[in-house]
Amino acid sequence: MEARYGFEKKFRDQVLRCSSCGFCRAVCPVFGATLRPSYNARGKMLVLKEVMDGTIELNDELIETLFQCTICASCEKNCPSGVNVPEIIRQVRKDMVHIGSCHPAFRGMNEVLQKHTNIYAEEEPEDFERERNKKAECVYFIGCVGSYREDEATLSILALLDRLKVDYTLIDEVCCSGVLEDMGYPINKGLAQRNIDLILATGAQTVITGCPYCSRTFNNKSQYAELKAKRIRVLHITQFLKDFEFGVKTDKLVTYHDPCDLGRHCEIYEEPREIIRKIAPNFVEMPHSRVDALCCGAGGGVRGAYPKNSIAMARRRLEEVEEVGAEVMLTECNSCLHNFSNAKLRKQNFKIYNITQFINELMEEVE
Amino acid sequence: MEIHGYNMPDELYYEENHFWVRDEGDILVMGMDDFAQILAGEIVYVQLPDEGKILKAGKKFAKLESGKWLGKVYAPVSGELFGVNEELETNPALINDDCYGKGWMYKIKPDDKGELNNLMHSREELDKWLLADIEKYVKE
Repeated sequence: MEARYGFEKKFRDQVLRCSSCGFCRAVCPVFGATLRPSYNARGKMLVLKEVMDGTIELNDELIETLFQCTICASCEKNCPSGVNVPEIIRQVRKDMVHIGSCHPAFRGMNEVLQKHTNIYAEEEPEDFERERNKKAECVYFIGCVGSYREDEATLSILALLDRLKVDYTLIDEVCCSGVLEDMGYPINKGLAQRNIDLILATGAQTVITGCPYCSRTFNNKSQYAELKAKRIRVLHITQFLKDFEFGVKTDKLVTYHDPCDLGRHCEIYEEPREIIRKIAPNFVEMPHSRVDALCCGAGGGVRGAYPKNSIAMARRRLEEVEEVGAEVMLTECNSCLHNFSNAKLRKQNFKIYNITQFINELMEEVE
Repeated sequence: MEIHGYNMPDELYYEENHFWVRDEGDILVMGMDDFAQILAGEIVYVQLPDEGKILKAGKKFAKLESGKWLGKVYAPVSGELFGVNEELETNPALINDDCYGKGWMYKIKPDDKGELNNLMHSREELDKWLLADIEKYVKE
């Protein structure tokens, strides 16, 4: 039978390679929150086999199954058959968008990014009280969540960069639009070019991002290849800060949450821990860490499309913070920070910060 | 009472961002009005600050979210946060189900209850304000 969809052409062998062992079920955050077998990778692969066999059609009835995935890559990392589930899901979503079967929230986000410059359709950017678009050694690229949802965390990171005397500038940034590829749409080239032009105009040789997803997009997507061609380094803030000394310490018991976009997707596990070791000798890992870290539930468009399940996933992770008795949970991703802050219950006594936010607070205390 | 299709109980006071206030003696209760809960859609998160927080009339003291929308909650009067509806922590959609009842959000101990008079209350005021916001925010 001739392949009808892109996923069949590209990933037929991989879909068939899934042996239904269920290792993915044990680690899938969506399954953990919903207990629906059709929502984990094994369930999704079974559905796609049926589609390839012509038994069922790719249509609106499959939206709940195929769009409910945070693209956290836990399944891929635990798959003994080597099935690259995130890439398959991205391609399936493209196929579904192509035939007009798309989750309305995902379609809405694509529409927003055709008309607006950020995923929230906010008209007025936060000020952050700093000059923008000036000549500097580094550009600090905030990202949509940091700009419009976690502005306090962003103010902290900027204050920290000031304290460390980093020569940086903000730019009139627009959404990197990398997230659109998770939703079945192409990256918005117009937005990408605006970011590239603004970065180049500053003369900066380094772009520091607070958002691991922006960092991935700049480093890996062809729409941003001009940055690499012009030898601009793009670093996540944890990579940038790993060799700095901060001169502050806390006695509190601290734990760290690996964001999927930083950990499993970029394999940046050590840099955040190197920074934390300098400021928090009393450190404890959660039962699931590094490549096995539980997902916060915000990725892959799930926070917007399935907010209740997204928050349920975050609550599962926060139970682990309680389990190890940490007083502080650190991360370095504004999407994770936002979802955890929304999910945290009042009875849970620990605090949640970005690493940078926490260091800035410690430095403020000793001043 | 119903105004332009929205339930706006007439014993309540309203501030311009669509939060209502009920006078319960020494304590004021506040929540989101019918217009805002319909416009926002399903509420998925309500920030519940610690009791004792000092509130200043017109200043932001909490936020709430529905999907991609972020709402800011402004203090309708100055005073102290006296209580929060903890049910909203696990069931924020109570605001959609019963915005004037089980979906109440905060209790405030006001510094000066006279500040209630700065809020909208008369049918005439509500009518004009609601009509303007319907034109501004509600798409046909």
